[in-house]
Amino acid sequence: MRQFLSRSESRSGLSPSILAIPILLILILIPAAGGFASWENLSNLSSQIAALVIVSLGQMLVAVVGGLDLSVGSVISLVTCVLATEGWPLTLTLPLAFALGASVGLINGWGVAVMDINPIVMTLSSMTFVQGVTLVWRNVPGGHIPKQLPFAAVGQTLGIPHSLLWLVLCVLVLTVVLRHTRFGLRLFAVGGNSASARLNGIPVRRITISAYVVCSMIAVVAGVYMAARIGSGDPKIGASFGLDSVTAIAMGGTQFSGGIGGVASATIGALSLGLISNGMNLLGVSTFLQSAAKGVVLVIAVCAQRRKSVGV
Amino acid sequence: MSVAESMPDGSSAERQDPSGVVVAQNVSKSFGFTKALDNVTIIGKAGAVHAITGENGAGKSTFMKILAGVYRPDAGRIFIKGREVQFSSVHDALVSGVSSVFQEMMLLPNLTVAENMFLGREPMSRGTLSRRIMMRESRDALARVGLEVRPEWLVGHLTVSEKQLVEIAKGISTDASIFFFDEPTASLNNTEVERLERLIDGLRAQGKVIFYVSHRLEEVFKFCDTVTVLKDGKHVATLPRASLDEDQLVTLMVGRPVQDLFPRRKKCRSSLALDVRSLVPQQGAAEVRLQLHRGEILGLCGLEGQGQREILRSLIGVIKPHESDITRISKEGDASPLVPEAGVVSCLRKGVGFVPEDRKVEGLYPDLSIYENVALGPMNRLALFRLAPRVAELVKKIMKRMHLQASSMGQPVASLSGGNQQKVMLGRWFAAGVDTLIVEQPTRGVDIGAKAEIYRQLRNFTASGGAVLMISNEITEIIGLCDRIIVVRQGLTVFETAGSAATEEILMEYALKDTPPAKGKKKKGAGTSS
Amino acid sequence: MNTTENTLKRLLSGAWNLSPAYFGTALLIAAALVFRPILLSGAFFGVILRQAAPLGMVVIGQSMAMRCRSIDLSIGGTVLAVTYIASSHYLSGWPGYMIVLACLCLGLAIGTINGVLITIFRGSAVIVTLGMTIIFIGIVIALARYTPPGEVPSLIRYFGSGRLGGIPIAPIIWIGLVIPIVLALRITVFGKYVDAIGSNPGAAAVSGIPYLRVIFLVHVFSGLAVAVGGLLLAGFVGTGFTEAVVGQDLVLNSLAAVILGGVTFGGGKGRIVGPVVGAFMLTFLFNFLTSFGFDESGKLMMQGGIIAVAALIDAAKRR
Repeated sequence: MRQFLSRSESRSGLSPSILAIPILLILILIPAAGGFASWENLSNLSSQIAALVIVSLGQMLVAVVGGLDLSVGSVISLVTCVLATEGWPLTLTLPLAFALGASVGLINGWGVAVMDINPIVMTLSSMTFVQGVTLVWRNVPGGHIPKQLPFAAVGQTLGIPHSLLWLVLCVLVLTVVLRHTRFGLRLFAVGGNSASARLNGIPVRRITISAYVVCSMIAVVAGVYMAARIGSGDPKIGASFGLDSVTAIAMGGTQFSGGIGGVASATIGALSLGLISNGMNLLGVSTFLQSAAKGVVLVIAVCAQRRKSVGV
Repeated sequence: MSVAESMPDGSSAERQDPSGVVVAQNVSKSFGFTKALDNVTIIGKAGAVHAITGENGAGKSTFMKILAGVYRPDAGRIFIKGREVQFSSVHDALVSGVSSVFQEMMLLPNLTVAENMFLGREPMSRGTLSRRIMMRESRDALARVGLEVRPEWLVGHLTVSEKQLVEIAKGISTDASIFFFDEPTASLNNTEVERLERLIDGLRAQGKVIFYVSHRLEEVFKFCDTVTVLKDGKHVATLPRASLDEDQLVTLMVGRPVQDLFPRRKKCRSSLALDVRSLVPQQGAAEVRLQLHRGEILGLCGLEGQGQREILRSLIGVIKPHESDITRISKEGDASPLVPEAGVVSCLRKGVGFVPEDRKVEGLYPDLSIYENVALGPMNRLALFRLAPRVAELVKKIMKRMHLQASSMGQPVASLSGGNQQKVMLGRWFAAGVDTLIVEQPTRGVDIGAKAEIYRQLRNFTASGGAVLMISNEITEIIGLCDRIIVVRQGLTVFETAGSAATEEILMEYALKDTPPAKGKKKKGAGTSS
Repeated sequence: MNTTENTLKRLLSGAWNLSPAYFGTALLIAAALVFRPILLSGAFFGVILRQAAPLGMVVIGQSMAMRCRSIDLSIGGTVLAVTYIASSHYLSGWPGYMIVLACLCLGLAIGTINGVLITIFRGSAVIVTLGMTIIFIGIVIALARYTPPGEVPSLIRYFGSGRLGGIPIAPIIWIGLVIPIVLALRITVFGKYVDAIGSNPGAAAVSGIPYLRVIFLVHVFSGLAVAVGGLLLAGFVGTGFTEAVVGQDLVLNSLAAVILGGVTFGGGKGRIVGPVVGAFMLTFLFNFLTSFGFDESGKLMMQGGIIAVAALIDAAKRR
């Protein structure tokens, strides 16, 4: 029997079980964790997951073309350090940050699409290299973020936390890109079957490289947000974002084989992961056990995806 | 009625009509060794359905793919509406008005119908994708082909028949003037075939050029106007359908000088090597029964994709069969059950060897040397941490016996010729000492000299008590080599004959026709009038 | 004469085919002779060897995994867990060799879990092993907050830092294990299967190789090798760790060393000896650079750079 699912349901990776996760988490946390449903906590939650959601959106783009980008965390760290450089105005540091992000994306994309290097090996090496560069720029947290920025992230307007605005803005932009541009459609084509896409006249290499570039630039946006939020440059602040974003999109139903994914699934996955962190924080679980728990979630999410091949 | 003869320059007796919309002139294409198309000229006219027929490997698909832009021809020119064209991609061809239905080769399963139809030429409005235009035009095109699917459905959820119609709708929406169909009815049921027929009629009425590649003679005779026969990559004849009947067509397709490649058949023993009492390769497939005797080479033949491969692979466990009841009897007479459901590894450990058709993908280890490839055979039945047996002497002996040309046994197999590579594959199982071999396409991509050698090896193998079950697309090979032949059509074994009594005609008749020829029917030779 | 010509040609082509690790080591030793001869002196050299031994053990498992087209990134978590068990008070009453055994069992267990997740659940090896490392790092550091690790038992200290007749024990254990492993892989059926699976996984199944079992065992074995490396490391340092950095460093170096040693996903000319030389080379390299003032940042850039360059070379060769 065929299932006539509407387009957005199947290609997006969403399914009833994926949607159930955050709902279940919320239902568990409301009684179990004191203060979960308070306005203050929800505002905290939004500010905690904003960066993760933004980065996960970028990671989702790369996953749709069948790859992964582990270097996003290092890019975030680098961006905070660049922005916190003493004496450099935003008019210099912001474009510089985006240029750096784009370069990382270009190199990643070139390695994967042109040289046919495994995306994980490629982005693992760029993650390490960029982390090294970041430590050269600034090897301890510090520096000075220009005054305008922190308010943009931490403040509130009309009672709505700015973090929520960042989040919503990025979600909206990515939705338009994915659904209403040629580029978005072609991403799915390349991920679905790159050989067929090529036959249809799609420039597969160019699309793949673009996906990595856009992902790194989105990581820069997340980095700017983080810089604003912590008010300084921290060379290790982004370390966990690489794997966290991968966990988030896996929890949202994105398949690493490519062709399946969407803004909603990335956001929901990031939300689920954020809820787990938030809940553990409220329950007083140590940060380290929290990351162990995230590791368990990652392993489960990955093994739940059915695959034919074995190994890398 | 007379059968057209080929003229010395390769053109058919029918004059080349320069008013043809599509002219493929002197087209040739080789893939490595194999010359798939040799100086072929075919002309397609507007408002006509032009059938392209021939046996497996005749070059039909290659011709189609060249015109569709998938391959580039090595030689020859292509003209569309009088203008010469050169396609560097399928997209180019589409833009020039060629639309192909290739069994879902080009559709993306995770895109909707509308998205698939416009991929590569997406309509834009005010800088963004205009889904409105995509939906509207898709709906129109779908309506014109009479397909009741909605443009927003994912192609991955459609049936094969629906996907085909989407491809046709795509062609209609691009206003294609040339349509190609490659075995379109292979997976369709009767209603769907009728729907396709009506559609093709409609296209013809609109003055399109339609090429139709098919094995199904009933279809060819039902709605094609012209028939071209290809054989071994060469053009044999192009005739109006009205001037042919089925027998004549079959005669044109077969009949080639027999090459003296095959060793003499020996009498085979009556003891069994494999007793397949029941094998159902997939749910819903037909039940197959066969017996393989010691000393026998049994060949399964038929048109491509008729189920022979599935039978073989589900017998050995590469595909898990739906049901099976198989006993294997060794040379010494020990009987034990063969359980393909337990997986191919367990079957292969019982002394049965499997030679897959695609050496590169499934057979050889390209970086490893000849020695290492062959030495894996004897290791098959050993436990993991046993010492690997030193088999240099054995490998040397086998290389010598098979006339394997290589500088040394340390040479990596990737650098060997096709024939030598095939010998390595067989050598592996000979080294393992199996007594039963299951072989797919024993001489695919292999030159003449190596072919003869391989046939000799297989014959020697059976002469000393081995048994071979094989499938092959080359009918001459089946007839020349096998002791017994079974024709498979749509998963059923429809005909069985001794190798010595088989002819190409009779095998092709059973392979091609829905209703088999009546018993006792005399063969009609070329040139006899009915 | 023809035979000397031929021999020379074969030697040259053999040398050309050697993995970068050999060249790199030769270059480094030459550079050290010129710029930092103290590194080649007995005391220093002994330290370098002891430092290299843990990495040298780890690359054995990593090399086997990569040759099967899998990977083991759980090294960091395993090492941290092993060093913690070896140095914590949980097992303080146990005799030295029992603690060693417990650590080895832990390594085996982690390798087994990896193997199961990769071969039965078919999870991506990268992500599964990364997840495992996060899990164990998280658990160990959380435990370390309550029960900080102390000193390792004297037996383990002896293995990691002791000397036997003037020669440090750690490299003796290391090389002493490498030799039989290299031999075993060369002469057993298992070793040949590893070669075959890496060369063409599609063919492996269809030609009767129990490839799932082989990959599973490779991961189990890697866990064991990493546990030995962890013990040597604990013995060298003398105490357990409270930070994850050491483990992460080890993982990246293992990838770099393996690739330098001529191993790539699915094969390559290197097997075990190449990566072992690569492990030595990297350890020497980082000591060399540190003596010039390189710090963590330089090290990371080097590691990332080496992995990328090696992957590029491999990709270029494949075309």
